Amino acid sequence: MRLPRFEYLEPGSIKEACDLLSTHGDDAKILAGGTDLLVRMKKGLLKPKIIISLKALKELSYIKKEDSYIKIGAKTPIADIIASDLIQKEAKALASSCEKTGAVTIQHYRGTIGGNILQDNRCHHYNQSAFHRSGRQACHKDGGKICYARDESDRCNSTCQSDGATALMALNAAVTLVKKDKKRTIDLVNFYSNDGIMPHAMEPNELLKEIIIPLKGAKSAYHRLACRSAIDYPIVCAGVLIKPDRKNKIRDARIVVGAMGRSPLFLAKVSSSLKGKSINDTNAFKKASRASMDSAAAFAVHNIGASLEYRCQMVSTMVFRALEEAARSAIKAEQ
Amino acid sequence: MSDYTIIGKRMPRVDSRAKVMGKAKFTADLKLPGMLVGKIKRSPHAHARILDIDTSKALALPGVKAVVTGKDTNGTKWGVFAYTRDQQFIQVEKARYIGDEVAGVAAVDEETALKALDLIEVEYEQLPAVFDPMEAMASKTELIHEDFPDNINVHVNIDTGNVDENFEKAYYVREDTFVAPEESYFQAEPYAVMARFDHEDCLEVFCPNGGPHMKSKPLSNAFKIPLHKVKIKKVAIGGAFGGRSEICPADYICALLAKKTGKPVKIEFTREENTIATRQGHAMITTHKTGVDKDGRVLARETTCYMDGGAYSSTGPIAASVPFLSMEQAYRMGSVRYNGYRVYTNKPIRGMIRVHGRGFAAGLDTQLDMIADHLGIDPVEIRLRNSRQPGDYTSTKSFVSSCAMDETILKAVKKSGFKEKWGKLPPFHGIGIGTNSVQTGFPMGIRGGSQSFIKFNEDGEATVMSGVVDNGQGNDNMLVQIAAEELGLLPEDIHLVSADTETTSSDPGSYSQVSTFVGGHAVKIAARNCREKLFKVAAKVLKVGPEKLAARNRLIFVKDDPEKSITIKKVVRISLLNFNSVNAEGGYWPEVDMKREWVKNPYGQMCEAFSFGTTIVEVKVDPETGKVDVLEVTAAQDVGYALNPLVLEGQFEGSVAMGGQGGMLTEYHEWKDGRCINPTMLDYKLPLACDMPKINNIIVESVDPKGPYGAKEAGMSIAMSAAQGYSAAVSNAIGVYMDSFPLTPDKILLAIKEKNEKNQS
Repeated sequence: MRLPRFEYLEPGSIKEACDLLSTHGDDAKILAGGTDLLVRMKKGLLKPKIIISLKALKELSYIKKEDSYIKIGAKTPIADIIASDLIQKEAKALASSCEKTGAVTIQHYRGTIGGNILQDNRCHHYNQSAFHRSGRQACHKDGGKICYARDESDRCNSTCQSDGATALMALNAAVTLVKKDKKRTIDLVNFYSNDGIMPHAMEPNELLKEIIIPLKGAKSAYHRLACRSAIDYPIVCAGVLIKPDRKNKIRDARIVVGAMGRSPLFLAKVSSSLKGKSINDTNAFKKASRASMDSAAAFAVHNIGASLEYRCQMVSTMVFRALEEAARSAIKAEQ
Repeated sequence: MSDYTIIGKRMPRVDSRAKVMGKAKFTADLKLPGMLVGKIKRSPHAHARILDIDTSKALALPGVKAVVTGKDTNGTKWGVFAYTRDQQFIQVEKARYIGDEVAGVAAVDEETALKALDLIEVEYEQLPAVFDPMEAMASKTELIHEDFPDNINVHVNIDTGNVDENFEKAYYVREDTFVAPEESYFQAEPYAVMARFDHEDCLEVFCPNGGPHMKSKPLSNAFKIPLHKVKIKKVAIGGAFGGRSEICPADYICALLAKKTGKPVKIEFTREENTIATRQGHAMITTHKTGVDKDGRVLARETTCYMDGGAYSSTGPIAASVPFLSMEQAYRMGSVRYNGYRVYTNKPIRGMIRVHGRGFAAGLDTQLDMIADHLGIDPVEIRLRNSRQPGDYTSTKSFVSSCAMDETILKAVKKSGFKEKWGKLPPFHGIGIGTNSVQTGFPMGIRGGSQSFIKFNEDGEATVMSGVVDNGQGNDNMLVQIAAEELGLLPEDIHLVSADTETTSSDPGSYSQVSTFVGGHAVKIAARNCREKLFKVAAKVLKVGPEKLAARNRLIFVKDDPEKSITIKKVVRISLLNFNSVNAEGGYWPEVDMKREWVKNPYGQMCEAFSFGTTIVEVKVDPETGKVDVLEVTAAQDVGYALNPLVLEGQFEGSVAMGGQGGMLTEYHEWKDGRCINPTMLDYKLPLACDMPKINNIIVESVDPKGPYGAKEAGMSIAMSAAQGYSAAVSNAIGVYMDSFPLTPDKILLAIKEKNEKNQS
């Protein structure tokens, strides 16, 4: 399959990139690795007139600690994140999620963290060839008014399968977006839109510059389930964060479930139910895991392989495993 | 130790280097001056009458050179057998599955060709469609093919008699049903075909194939040109597994476009087209009823199988038989009755596949384990009590000469530590065994034999010609090894010309596991005949009788006095100077029962040799996720004689990947109203290298009396027994006999849950 025709632009600086976006925003797509974008273009799901490549923007590739934040450039290769001691130590959930993304070759050669968290939502009725999508009505995401994953649904139920997004939301990360003469920072919880057609709040003339992770002396973990050990999107995943106090009680917890809804699901109520619980309280973890399953199951539809019932069931297992791992590393750090 | 110099040695394949370096040319790599891009318009409806096709807009598009529809054909229907001719290469009246060919386009480039496809307007009247064989048989809606009542395409009935009586006599009888959905091959190379008519009006075609002569005949029929004018050429092929056995409508469409435009045309399939519009393996619902005596010996068996055949016959009669035949070869059965129904549905066409019905084979072995469990016998013992023995006749009256089934069982048991582990492993940790047998050849009538020609060049090197095709398994290397061994040359001295209908003689093709046994044999005989000519000349020079000579390492020497020698090159030159050619031919026709026919007469000698395989698998199941971690696989096969252990091990490992790791754990298709939801490599869960377990390969040699050097089929018995071994191991780990394959985590979890609930109540 060939790519459709497009004009290729390669800005030399962030400013130049923003200028190009301000001129061409609606007709352009940003290329930062291409492992998501080019596949969709080959399937005819996207036909941008212009591709703005970030290839030359070396300044968008970095991992640094500033005050009590980790800052990661949007174009940082997945492999660099895995190799970073800082992230392995302070943001384990992100490191684990990156280790599971794509395959070693994709992590090393092309995949970027920005591309990973901005990847479009997926659905096995939508991510198909033009031939597959012909001879039937177009679905919501394809410009129509029907959903093949959930009967009579008035909206798109595509699923966000980004490993990085789930892990970063658990880490309470924010993203910095730039456009011509403007800059804004937005928490991931607010960045993801819960809209299957346009899954995040990035405007067409904006560029993702940076990911900011606050450091709060917390421990995090990420667990995911997929059908095979590489080149596979998660069918369910969980990112968690646990911050213990000096008496080994949980002061703050965050549970995020991914690959179950239109965006990663931050389960605020379940998360806060862990507050004040002992870090060794397996029963509390079990209860929270089951509650996570109940909350997340309502969002999921059968649209990304594996049976829906199985995926719902596995929410609980993934959340529990992530909580256990985060708690273990918190206890270890204490010792 | 054998006396062979090259045969039996671990030799890297002659084609490996070009393939790993990316130098080998596959069909998609080929380019000819002026070549056009061909594309196929396919039906987006599962069952629809074609009311009208308007090609005028497509033809008006600049860059479009030709558009063909069913009107451009003479309406010939293709079928492997005279009684299964049901498929037109371009549909005229109706489309029967999503992907059915309705038109073809040739244009200057891909973009234009794709645009032209969109401009072809097809008016359809949608018809009710059926997607399940049971539903299709009961359906009162329009038949998929009007000549086939109840949508039953093929019915194979085998009955040895005494079945009901023996069930009466049996000590224990049980009946179980097993199900498995369709599966795909995912050959590394998506299908592609390039065709042109040359200046002599010969049709020249390059495409992946399971046998070039199986492509040339239907093309010769369709274009009404003599066979010698159809040249199927050799090209590198990236996998077949049974899915490249027949003519593909794309071959015809490509050639038709080439004829119409007078230019070379190439059609390359997308991965999706390769999945939906070549072949798939059948979905099957199989019921095995087995009666045994007190010792677990099978007295009677009745098997009924409903196969989802998809929209057309393809190799239907064969595909409806081989799952059963493999099992009747593997095990002795006192008496047996088999009813195989291949049913039309509005789904992609199903053909032959390496594992021949995972649910069929794994079901039969699962039931054997259940019976053993009931009788208090272990799985190894019950297999040894029922295993095929040399000198037996199978239930359908094939004589089995070489057979080391027991040796494969015993060696695999020993290597895997089965006896020590069985019944003693911790919870959710299991071990299982599967055994199977595969035929070395099918009765192929006029195309059952193979012939080879060998000519020496004046530099003492040889050109070997054979119709055998290599579609990934290493047949080219096999032919070179045999020729080099027999001629006393080194492999690099042999130039192979093969799989080309212009230069090589008829051959059965490489889809009945017969390439070595028949095609290799023909090369061996031709080389021996050629060597005799060399010996005659050398004998005069060395002043000894030709029977005293041997050839090795480019020399002909006296066996008892190896110092006395002459180079082969010199012998060739002497021969040529004396006006004697140095070339020879050889052929091999297996002695099979020519009256045996898949449906009308499924009895008699099937082929000359059968292979036997055992696979033992050890797994750990995660009871929280249902995921299976395969710890170790031990694969043992009776291959007759190992011509090249290195190649064999590769075949074994590939078989474990296809039959076990993928076929039994992750691979299945999802559908929505006849649309295949997961046609791509991302969504169809083929195992990757990093998913594969440790594999112990055990080669068992029974030295078949008829096979070249004693060799017979190699690898497929592992693919089939791996399916059985994987299912047995998972069943053992979770303590539930599984009856629905593949064993995906959701099914495993559900089985564990139901078992726990049962234990509690």
